[in-house]
Amino acid sequence: MTWRRWRLLAAIGGGAVALSVGIVLGLPFSSRAQQPTQPAATAAMPPGDNYVGAETCKGCHEEAFNKFSHTKMGRLFLRQPRSAKEANACESCHGPGKDHVDAGGGKGKGGMITFAKNDPTPVEKRNAVCLSCHTKGARLFWQGSAHESRDVPCTSCHKVMDNVSPRHQLAKETVIETCGSCHLQKRAQTMRTSHMPLREGKMTCTSCHNPHGTVTPALLKEPSLNDTCFTCHAEKRGPFLWNHPPQIESCANCHDPHGSNHENMLKTAKPRLCQQCHVPTQHPTRPYDRSTPSLKFVLGQSCLTCHVNIHGSNHPAGFAFTR
Amino acid sequence: MRTTRTVRSVLAGLVVLAAAGAASAQTTPPAETAPPFEIGGFRLEGYVESGVRFFLDPSQKERAKFEEYRDINQGLFLQGLWLRFFTPDEKYSGLIGGRQWGQQDQEYHLSFERLGRWEVGFEWDQMRHIFSTNARTLTTETSRGVFALPNPRPAISTYNNGRSIDEISVRWDTARTFFKLSLSENADLFAEYTRIHKDGERPFGMAFGSPGGNTFEILQPIEHTIHDFRLRGTWATEQWQVQAGYTMSIFVNDLDYVRSDNPCQPAVAPFPPCAAGDVGTTKQFGTVSLPPSNMAHTFSLQAGVNLPLRTRINGNFTYSLRLQNDDFLPQTTTNGQPATVPSLALPQKSLHGNVQIILFNLNATSRPLPIPVTFSAKYRLYDLMDESDVVRFSDFIINDQNTITRGPHFSQRFSYMRQNADLDGRWKVSQPLAVTLGTGWERWDRPETREVQVSDEFFAKAALDVTPADWLMLRATYQPSFRRASRYRTFALAAVEQDAAPGEPGQSYLLRKYDEADRDRQRADLMMQITPTETVTITPAASYRFDNYIASGLSHDSSARGQSGAMLGLQEAVSWSAGMDVNWAPSERLSFAAGYVHESNFQKQRSRNRNPDDPALDWISNNTDTIDTYHASVTARLIPGKLDLKFAGNYSYALGRIETWNPNANGSTVFNAVANSNQVARRLPAFEDSLLRLEASLRYHFGQVWTASLNYAYEAFSKHDWRTDTINPFVPGNSAVYLGNDLKSYEAHIFGVTLGYRFK
Repeated sequence: MTWRRWRLLAAIGGGAVALSVGIVLGLPFSSRAQQPTQPAATAAMPPGDNYVGAETCKGCHEEAFNKFSHTKMGRLFLRQPRSAKEANACESCHGPGKDHVDAGGGKGKGGMITFAKNDPTPVEKRNAVCLSCHTKGARLFWQGSAHESRDVPCTSCHKVMDNVSPRHQLAKETVIETCGSCHLQKRAQTMRTSHMPLREGKMTCTSCHNPHGTVTPALLKEPSLNDTCFTCHAEKRGPFLWNHPPQIESCANCHDPHGSNHENMLKTAKPRLCQQCHVPTQHPTRPYDRSTPSLKFVLGQSCLTCHVNIHGSNHPAGFAFTR
Repeated sequence: MRTTRTVRSVLAGLVVLAAAGAASAQTTPPAETAPPFEIGGFRLEGYVESGVRFFLDPSQKERAKFEEYRDINQGLFLQGLWLRFFTPDEKYSGLIGGRQWGQQDQEYHLSFERLGRWEVGFEWDQMRHIFSTNARTLTTETSRGVFALPNPRPAISTYNNGRSIDEISVRWDTARTFFKLSLSENADLFAEYTRIHKDGERPFGMAFGSPGGNTFEILQPIEHTIHDFRLRGTWATEQWQVQAGYTMSIFVNDLDYVRSDNPCQPAVAPFPPCAAGDVGTTKQFGTVSLPPSNMAHTFSLQAGVNLPLRTRINGNFTYSLRLQNDDFLPQTTTNGQPATVPSLALPQKSLHGNVQIILFNLNATSRPLPIPVTFSAKYRLYDLMDESDVVRFSDFIINDQNTITRGPHFSQRFSYMRQNADLDGRWKVSQPLAVTLGTGWERWDRPETREVQVSDEFFAKAALDVTPADWLMLRATYQPSFRRASRYRTFALAAVEQDAAPGEPGQSYLLRKYDEADRDRQRADLMMQITPTETVTITPAASYRFDNYIASGLSHDSSARGQSGAMLGLQEAVSWSAGMDVNWAPSERLSFAAGYVHESNFQKQRSRNRNPDDPALDWISNNTDTIDTYHASVTARLIPGKLDLKFAGNYSYALGRIETWNPNANGSTVFNAVANSNQVARRLPAFEDSLLRLEASLRYHFGQVWTASLNYAYEAFSKHDWRTDTINPFVPGNSAVYLGNDLKSYEAHIFGVTLGYRFK
């Protein structure tokens, strides 16, 4: 391993130490980094203080209550709470209801967090309510993520109070519809002729992406774009005896994973795609067209008729990926 | 077989329907006031929907695109079955469900949980990917992956009469089982095992002489299995969280190679149009290797901590190990050459493939000031170290020919390191307005075998989030970036491979590969959300990206080698999209949705026919793809609680153009001297495809439990592509034999009637 890599590893180790020190230093503090600026409504709540109980909420909000009671969160909070916070049910998220009830109810009364689009509660505070429980797993890197940094509320994608989707309490029936409500182009790409089976329901956006934040660009779930592809296409992982360098670095050098109008989700038709990087003294530099001498290089598998193992070859004579 | 499975599934569903119906009948109607359905202390609720479907279907030859990832049959079908059983206190519950029962794309899931404590589940998913239903071949598969031709070889022109291959497809069977455990309020454990088995074939090429010899399109046999095992543990408190994980992925390929007889050998007599050279130098059959089995292990540790001053630090460290050590195939199996030519002997038995990857992330966000300003800093390191052997091969047998190709070649390794750093500051100027300014950096460090060893890209970022009113939200982002590389060294690989084969490296000194070239990029995104009333939402969105590739260092490299002219390779790429969604729900009973997106992708590339190596033989290709996508839907509760109507439509049209020309041909004596069909650039015919799907569904609810629906769907796929529309296995004028497959256009009218029962 080179000296440069050793220095980098030392830097990584230093960063890890710094992080560990941060954890240790952070322990005594009741940090508000993920909490609202006001004294936390959803931090450790004194039992019985300003809380009116779920049955009181049900008295006025029966329809919403009934829908909520059929959700997973509703069943947990109302039937099998694991902690005092969960036992507060409605008020564990919406805040203590006493002031709201004393004021006779109604919109904007009592400082409740409604999570509606027009809720005056800052998005950071609303999200902190969710994160007070859901900070593990997929949400570990929420802070600083693409969606968090643009003030996207959790309720933009999730509907807690009702079962709209079969799983994950989404705001729309499917993941594609939920993501596609903002990412119009990506939803449109699912209609392309060369595509992965998203519109057939065999994959979703979250098969590859974690919208809550990840360590990889484009919110990919795995350590790299290639690792994400290799989850299902492990035959491309190698390492091979003969490697194709742009394939090692990124599958997206040649492919558009969201869909394409070219075969195999290529960004451009063959042979033009290959000719963008290969101008040797041999055949690939000709402007192949539909004339007879060119047909062999255009029809069928085109360049890949000969260079079949373009993702890498393990054959002794495969240095040009022909075997 | 498939019909029997379908019938069994439907009968099973009908039995459930009958049982549920009988149980329901035993209760006192109406169902909403009846005591719940109980078995063995568990309450049941569920839904089952079954029906009959028929359609005016595409022919067998047209079904490839129609059923590309689906399995649609006529007759009885079980649309869905969903059954939830739970204890009265909801402490324990289970779920059985699935869809497409009995079909090749069926999927099931089964899970059981103690609410809030643990959950265990199993999922099964089948999918097939159909590539073709109209291919033809004269080969016979004598064993898996071995294709034989009649002897003596038939004339190539007779391959058009080959046997039809009903279906070229790969079936994916995915089984997944998982276990989640909440040890405490703070600790979670998660374990998951996924097995993906792929079985089938896909089109595959084989060449018998290189370069430019005869070629043959055959089938690649696929028998792949992926075992994926994941384990993750999390400890989380309000202040800090730690997560550790391990993933093991094993890929097993049951096949090592594919072999096929050569259509042009043995030659009793030359069969036109097999070229004389193909007949003389190629061998009777060819062998191509298939992907080797491999394995990967990934260990990860990530943590996050909340610090004072509203600061949060996240970190991640991941170590991955990829291994591959399958035995090499011999150079050739045709004529025993390795035994007689020592230089062809394999220097070692296998690669000892070993790739190690380190990923490190450190992110910090902080809101330390009393004003609403958020600072964020990120650093990411991805270091791929390929520690596999560099194997020296003296000589080669390419394409199983007689000819020995002189080496040596070294199996170079292409490690790399990628670093990213970002700094952002976001200021919420006022409630409706937030401004973000930032900068970023990306560096690639590549080995000396690559043309560019170090490249740096610098980003700037400006973003605006505006919500001036409840009914209006705007997000805009502008991000320019500039990538500059260290010197582009065309001869890099040859310089490393000492005692390599003599001669100049193959690539032109004028070429800049786009993944390494200097580049200026402009990128902008815009999204708005307008809700003028509570019932209307309008979402316009647009994006734009322009990549300009720069000819850095061109004159230095090329003039020293007698080459002149403009940069070759990708010159520029422009992609943009614009679209809008409109959603209108004038009442609880009626909602409309419609949308349109236009996409355009343009690439300009320049190349040169290098015989002779003269700018007059340059050619430029403008490659443009435009895609228009529309969608619309109407959902209406005609009679609330009784009758629902839904219409939906999707349409997508894509046009691809490849416009190629010679920019320096006019008046060029060099061009005129050598101009023939090979050097002259011509525009290729455009290719287009479109997909239309219309659906209508009328559902009637008989009380609270029964539902009947009448469904109609119309699908039309249309394609015009000169490369495949009229392709046959034999195409006059060249010694290539194809499968002759083509994704045919189709139209389908699908009618269905279903009956569903819901019980709880």
